[in-house]
Amino acid sequence: MYARRAAQLLQELSSCEEGQLPPYNGDKFDQVIRECEEHSRQFQSLIRDKDIETKNEDHYGSFIHHLSIIRNKRCLMAYMYKRAEVIQSYRWNVGRVLPREIQDKLNFSEQEYFKDYCGVIDSYMKDLDLDLTVDMVPPKDPYIRVRVLSEIGEVSLGDHAVSLTKDSFHFLRRTDAEPFISQVLLHSIILMLNFECVIIF
Amino acid sequence: MPGYYDISDILMEDEAVSVAFHVGANGVGLLDPGTETNSVEKGAKIDLPFWLAHELCRRRAVSITIPSCFGQKMKKDVQADAACVDLGTRYPYFYEFGCKLFPLVGDKSIGLFLRHTFANRYKEMLSKSHTASLNAIPKFVLRLSKEEYQLFEAARSSMVEFKKWRVRDLGLMKTTIVGHKRKTDLH
Repeated sequence: MYARRAAQLLQELSSCEEGQLPPYNGDKFDQVIRECEEHSRQFQSLIRDKDIETKNEDHYGSFIHHLSIIRNKRCLMAYMYKRAEVIQSYRWNVGRVLPREIQDKLNFSEQEYFKDYCGVIDSYMKDLDLDLTVDMVPPKDPYIRVRVLSEIGEVSLGDHAVSLTKDSFHFLRRTDAEPFISQVLLHSIILMLNFECVIIF
Repeated sequence: MPGYYDISDILMEDEAVSVAFHVGANGVGLLDPGTETNSVEKGAKIDLPFWLAHELCRRRAVSITIPSCFGQKMKKDVQADAACVDLGTRYPYFYEFGCKLFPLVGDKSIGLFLRHTFANRYKEMLSKSHTASLNAIPKFVLRLSKEEYQLFEAARSSMVEFKKWRVRDLGLMKTTIVGHKRKTDLH
């Protein structure tokens, strides 16, 4: 009672690392809502047939119940809000499809929220005709050296076709290579730049 | 100013303060573990969470006693050595709590005390944050309050960025042409 459980819920959330979520604690959430109902019942019983202006013991008691409800509401809202923020960040950091272990931590309405958010972003990007999720870190170089991890075959990129056979190296424009890199079909080896020159050439 | 959804503000307001009731209150017996009836007597001394005490104090229903974290013992500890005082485990929301408590209690010395504590701890914290490595968590970090910890992290990450910048790639021209060296045909 008196918002202690709600505070525990928030403790759980804040003890997680930045950008991570604990599993959705539906039980505690429901318990807090039941506590609010209890407070509301007590409040009703204290103000029944009483003159609101007189500041007697019932008045202060009902006031305390009222404050508890408001406090519980604030805790629950903050809980949902923080989780929604993290879910939004998943679209930008992880991608359109969430891995199993993240999906298990969300409840049903949060999964729906994620789908709707992806839909909104996609329709916005379609209107702009621009993919906003590539190049989240500004690139130093328009070109990137890549190594093919699994057989892709002939791919036409812009004006020329490139044959992406397994374990072959290519030097591609970054925007062309990004979709393949995000699907883990190409491996960016930009960090091994100096090494590369020695091995290949 | 912290917002409605700010989780650390919400958790800070959960700190317990000891209050003395000026009025009785019915139907809230759970607040006072010692009471037999379902109500709080006038004059009772109870520990309430700060969010509740704050609102009741504004309506003059209770008066808040200064908690131990701003009491004489704490002041003596800070006088002796501010940097060794363990705020991280005992009072993680020391500064924010003090700032919110200060207008309610009417003790003008709390504000000066907060500033004095912070100023003395800051010097040591600054030097340690610049020299601390990224992986190891120095023991003294556990003694920092939440606000100090945020400053510490900010200083540490800016130091890391600075070191990265210092050893960055300097002026290597990356070739844009890949492939075998072209032999120019002179004939």
